Amino acid sequence: MIESAVQRQAVLQPKTVLRIGRLSLYLVLAAGAAVVALPFCWMVSTSLMSLGETINRQWLPGTPRWQNYQTAWMEARFAVYFMNSVIITATSLAGLLTTSILAAYAFARLQFAGREIIFFGLLSTMMIPEAMTLLPSFLIIRGDVIPLPGGSWLNTLQGLTVPFMASAFSIFLLRQFFRRLPVELWDAACIDGCGHLRFLTTIVLPLSKAPLLTVSLFGFIASWDSLLWPLLVTTRETWRPLMVGLWSLVTEAGAETHLFMAGATITLLPILVIYFLVQRQFTEGIMTSGLKG
Amino acid sequence: MPSRAFRLPEALGRRLRRREAREQLIGYLFTAPAVAVIALFGLFPLGYAFYMSFFAWRVRQGPFRGLRNYGKALGEPDGVLIFAGAVALLVLAAWMWRRARQTVPERRLLGLLAAVALLVLAITAAVTGWGRMLETGDVKFLNALPVTVYYALGSIPLQLAIALALACVLFQNLRGSAFFRMVFFLPYVMPTVATATVFRSIFSSRDTSMANQFLALFGLEPQQWLAESRPVLEVLFGWQLPDFWGGPSLALASIILFGVWTFVGYNVVIFLAGLGSISGELYEAAELDGANRWDVFRHITFPLLSPVTFYLALIGFIGALKAFNHIFVMRSPLAQGTVNTASMVIFDTFYLANQYGYAAAQVVLLFLMILGVTYAQNRVFGRSVIYD
Repeated sequence: MIESAVQRQAVLQPKTVLRIGRLSLYLVLAAGAAVVALPFCWMVSTSLMSLGETINRQWLPGTPRWQNYQTAWMEARFAVYFMNSVIITATSLAGLLTTSILAAYAFARLQFAGREIIFFGLLSTMMIPEAMTLLPSFLIIRGDVIPLPGGSWLNTLQGLTVPFMASAFSIFLLRQFFRRLPVELWDAACIDGCGHLRFLTTIVLPLSKAPLLTVSLFGFIASWDSLLWPLLVTTRETWRPLMVGLWSLVTEAGAETHLFMAGATITLLPILVIYFLVQRQFTEGIMTSGLKG
Repeated sequence: MPSRAFRLPEALGRRLRRREAREQLIGYLFTAPAVAVIALFGLFPLGYAFYMSFFAWRVRQGPFRGLRNYGKALGEPDGVLIFAGAVALLVLAAWMWRRARQTVPERRLLGLLAAVALLVLAITAAVTGWGRMLETGDVKFLNALPVTVYYALGSIPLQLAIALALACVLFQNLRGSAFFRMVFFLPYVMPTVATATVFRSIFSSRDTSMANQFLALFGLEPQQWLAESRPVLEVLFGWQLPDFWGGPSLALASIILFGVWTFVGYNVVIFLAGLGSISGELYEAAELDGANRWDVFRHITFPLLSPVTFYLALIGFIGALKAFNHIFVMRSPLAQGTVNTASMVIFDTFYLANQYGYAAAQVVLLFLMILGVTYAQNRVFGRSVIYD
């Protein structure tokens, strides 16, 4: 009797355990996803409320007020700032990609004296918080330390972009990937009399889509998200980027939660769209080239 | 005949040498732009900050001040010396502990007791020295140290634990795991200024903020969250512990929660990469030996993931030091500086108070601290990491 019960249990157990196990795993994942999603839902929901609704606090607005977005857009002068952010981000990204690709290729493929020392010297800057380099960098841009072409770079595009035109992280990530490309590729190209620059642009880069996307997205986010540096080097409106606009909306609009939630949604949308487009290559880029080595 | 035999390698050698020289040149040319930018805006500033720290420098360079900027930050030398002595004692205690564990049993107990005594002495000296430094130095700057430590200790273990759990679940190859991976990663890629703005309203002190409504679901009293300068332990249990032992303020705890929310996804992805690199044979072998899931996790997964965990802990520590944008957006004057990490304090000295020379001295002190902690972290945890 007991024996048969045990036997029956042993037969039954795996399947039910598996099902219950799987269900609880899904519950864990769903809970995690809910925690991630809730703030975003709160943001969108609040951005569509009237001032009264944000104070009385419902979970959802009575009738969605899309005009909040228009108001936020006007009040935060987003029309100017959005364009500024696009130009600043595009410029720094172009610079970042150029310098990182060239440097990463050299560190991965070329033999030159002092290669390792220079590489690890660059990597060591990843440990340094931005707040520590901020002050001297600001003095450099102001033209106090070394003479700059055109005098002070405050309130200029180059002042906002040049310091971010290289990053040790991007170089590291690309180098990890370039190193794993087979040497035979170069040997084959060598026979055709191909120079390093041509080899890099025609063969290496087309093979490196995932790491290039990863580096680009990180560069894009860093530039789009920058608040500190623009606060320092822009004293006038001309080149103020989006995040400075959002920040002043938050400090000036104060109690008008619905407005700065609309503002936050606006600043977040471009990155959200880009992320959904490239997320697969992106996470794979991080997983494969971010760790090993 | 011999001449011919010689000439060929010579010509070949010359061509090879020329090619090598060319490669050298190209190497330098390719790295030059990146090196120039990083050297100018990443490395040079540290040296320049060191130079600036010896001057009175308010917007423009002023007279030489020697070490007075450092004195202003740290207070009278005696306090600093006592504190430094405490750190030395701590190192000595750790060394004795390790030595004692390796010696013969008869002397082990004695060694361990001596190590513990040294530890107690070190803590006493640290408290005394620190108290003296707080009396005579810059409280605003010195307080950044416990705040940064709270931030690191509060966020790193929490986000590692959550991320490891989620990564293990995702690794089971359930249907839809790619979707969940994408969702978990979302907070990490979103602009911090925007998400911090959202959390600023979630953790606002209004009765109707999301955090307070959540408390209300369980019938709890509304809290001040980001505007609360009292320590968490006092808010939760009414314990009034002195100084450091009180723990982070509720405001800082809210910011820590934001940090965890942001970084869990990144840690999940890196853990997944680590899990993927553990060979399946080990699991099969363990299964044959009749190990259950928990055993497998404890004896295979966790030890083999230790390099990844160590890497993520290091990244988390650097992240705590770098933490800026979200604190800048979420901090409220009502939190009374209990959320100001080292980066924030340096920024305030520089940007709000315009004391450039003094801010530079703070930069140098923070740099020394980073070096010290990184070294210690490598010595202490680097050892227990298992590389295969």
